[in-house]
Amino acid sequence: MHGLRLGIPITFGYIPMGIGYAALAIKAGLTPFETVSMSVLIYAGAGQIMIATMLAQGATLFNIVLTSFVLNFRYFVMNTCIYNKVDDASLAVRIPSSHLAVDEAFAMFMLMEESSIWTYIGLAGIAWISWIFGAIIGVIVLNVLPIIVANSFNISLYALFVALLVPAVKESKELAILVVITAILNVVLQFFIGNWSLIIAILLGALIGMYIVDDDTVLGDAYKTADENCSNKEVQQ
Amino acid sequence: MNITLLIILCALVTFIPRVIPAIFMERLNFSPKFEKFLNLIPYTALAALICPGVLTVDPNLWYIGLIGAVIAGGLAWKKVPLGAIVILTVIVLVAVYLIVPFFPVLI
Repeated sequence: MHGLRLGIPITFGYIPMGIGYAALAIKAGLTPFETVSMSVLIYAGAGQIMIATMLAQGATLFNIVLTSFVLNFRYFVMNTCIYNKVDDASLAVRIPSSHLAVDEAFAMFMLMEESSIWTYIGLAGIAWISWIFGAIIGVIVLNVLPIIVANSFNISLYALFVALLVPAVKESKELAILVVITAILNVVLQFFIGNWSLIIAILLGALIGMYIVDDDTVLGDAYKTADENCSNKEVQQ
Repeated sequence: MNITLLIILCALVTFIPRVIPAIFMERLNFSPKFEKFLNLIPYTALAALICPGVLTVDPNLWYIGLIGAVIAGGLAWKKVPLGAIVILTVIVLVAVYLIVPFFPVLI
């Protein structure tokens, strides 16, 4: 219950974001059922938006699945830290709750003192529910909205992408440079390898970033705390 | 394309990396280098998703996406909350769509 209340700030971001995703998914040709199913089963904000974007751009199934894997692999790292932090819990609790990992819930949980798995499930669970709820509102509302408003919803995902990037770029000049390099890479590569440019640009960009971006910049506050938590545990053991 | 298959496969490749650490609770060790690489991926992914996609938000009016991106960027710079940024950007674009027909030069 306590966790549910802690997760409320996340819902303010996730409901509108869920609506934005639904707008995009419907535009990409998915049915309302498929759109909501993705929010329930895949549950990866940027990942789902990317799937819809790639579908709209005519990417192949294999290409989309591979890009999803790469983009969502960070949850592996996040869950490594989360399940290292929580007090012991049974497999029956751990396995289903692992589905709830997302950037925002991870960051909040790693930054707090508490280590009860139920607190984590509360806050991560309400994030999941609000994400699904956003998608449901989206598929319903978009049917009634006038065309101009529905068209304007196309921008919502880009607004979100930009809004997520700006604070990081504001903090670090090197990261800003990396963002520009990756964007240029993606544009240039498109002429040579078409739809593959997205995944190649993402990976090449991250590789280049390893040399030009400062270690402290990439491991933000949440990651730093997460890292300390992970290594503290190790020391205790 | 078989959308059902796509959803199932994407759900699997997302869930498997999530569940492995939950099953093996002990710390799986990464080299700090690999961790840095993984941490950079969300930023490069965002960059690649935005550019050049943002220019095709409206295939007929390339600058629509650009206007939206600039507004969202400005609001984020001023530390406006995420949800508000999305909503405000959409509202501004609705206004732009309403104004454009009065200025044939823009089309």
